[in-house]
Amino acid sequence: MSGIARGRLAEERKSWRKNHPHGFVAKPETATDGTVNLMVWQCTIPGKAGVLNRAGEEKYTDWEGGYFPLTLHFSEDYPSKPPKCKFPQGFFHPNVYPSGTVCLSILNEDSGWRPAITVKQILVGIQDLLDSPNPADPAQTDGYQLFIQEPAEYKRRVKQQAKQYPPLV
Amino acid sequence: MDESTEDLEPLFDYSRVQPVGLIDLEDEGDEQVLPEVVKGKRKSDLTPKVTPQGEKVVKEQKKVTHVIDDDDDEWLRPPPPTKVFNRTQDLNGDKTLLELRSKKQELASLLQSAEDVIRAAEEAAKKELNSSKDAVLESETDKAAKPRVERKKVVISIQDKDGLKQFRVYKDDKLEKLFKMYAKKVKVNLAKLVFCFDGDRISPSATPAGLGLEDEDMIEVHIK
Repeated sequence: MSGIARGRLAEERKSWRKNHPHGFVAKPETATDGTVNLMVWQCTIPGKAGVLNRAGEEKYTDWEGGYFPLTLHFSEDYPSKPPKCKFPQGFFHPNVYPSGTVCLSILNEDSGWRPAITVKQILVGIQDLLDSPNPADPAQTDGYQLFIQEPAEYKRRVKQQAKQYPPLV
Repeated sequence: MDESTEDLEPLFDYSRVQPVGLIDLEDEGDEQVLPEVVKGKRKSDLTPKVTPQGEKVVKEQKKVTHVIDDDDDEWLRPPPPTKVFNRTQDLNGDKTLLELRSKKQELASLLQSAEDVIRAAEEAAKKELNSSKDAVLESETDKAAKPRVERKKVVISIQDKDGLKQFRVYKDDKLEKLFKMYAKKVKVNLAKLVFCFDGDRISPSATPAGLGLEDEDMIEVHIK
């Protein structure tokens, strides 16, 4: 089984090195002695930049400017099973558990996950989720309640969090 | 479908073609003549023999061509040794003739050295006069000389927000060169560009080899 997981992850890494969405980072963990652990990936998801609306004006998202660290934990059953995707503990978002684990349909073995989903698609999917939370599937009370009840305060918290994760370079 | 491809195989036996192609890639320039010779001979071999037995014959023919090539080398090599032998024979023979010859050679070498000195002086004078022109010429000759030395190249993609651009650079060359070239191309001040690989900023003094970059690896560029 491990052969399948590692083989696939080596391919994922190879394809990532050749091309990936701008501003994203995804690299297998490297130990202090230089050995690479393909089963854990350290990633960065950039907050979505502005999108052009119909009038041709750029509409900014509250997540822009933030570069959010995400860790992907792959099991030996990958790609039959999805990786566990974790933001830092206490990450502010309606669909992120207090532990930092992301709650998203495509990452759920019993609903949207398919073995063909690539690391690239996972990361872009999570970037989308940041700016468009799913109120039908809350994972934390703080983020969920503010999102539903106090949009202004929710916005403020999101912007504040984006500042907490400035670009690394 | 499978049957049709099987039918094609005996006609275009790639196992016989591939080795030639590989040689072509490895030995650029110098031995380009060799494969052509082999190809030419093969064509003549292939036309009369279509039966599977033809393969054996071709293999034998290959050996023959190699032997012929070796012979060609020997044909070229002999001349220098024979000259040496001639001189030794002269040594044993007429001593006065040898003395005369050596004197003649001395005179000739003197003449040559004198000419060389004159030439060198002339060139030095020219260099002083056209120092700027020479500098340009020298840099050009440097550029021309570099590709001759076998340095490994690598294709690197640079990605900005709009897309990818690919560049071929030397593996042991500082990336600074590539960054400058890129800045020029996109008409942005180099100081405003940040180049990253795997989320880490790349130092201008880093080399593709040092970073472990492989063909078609992608570098991201961000504008400050």
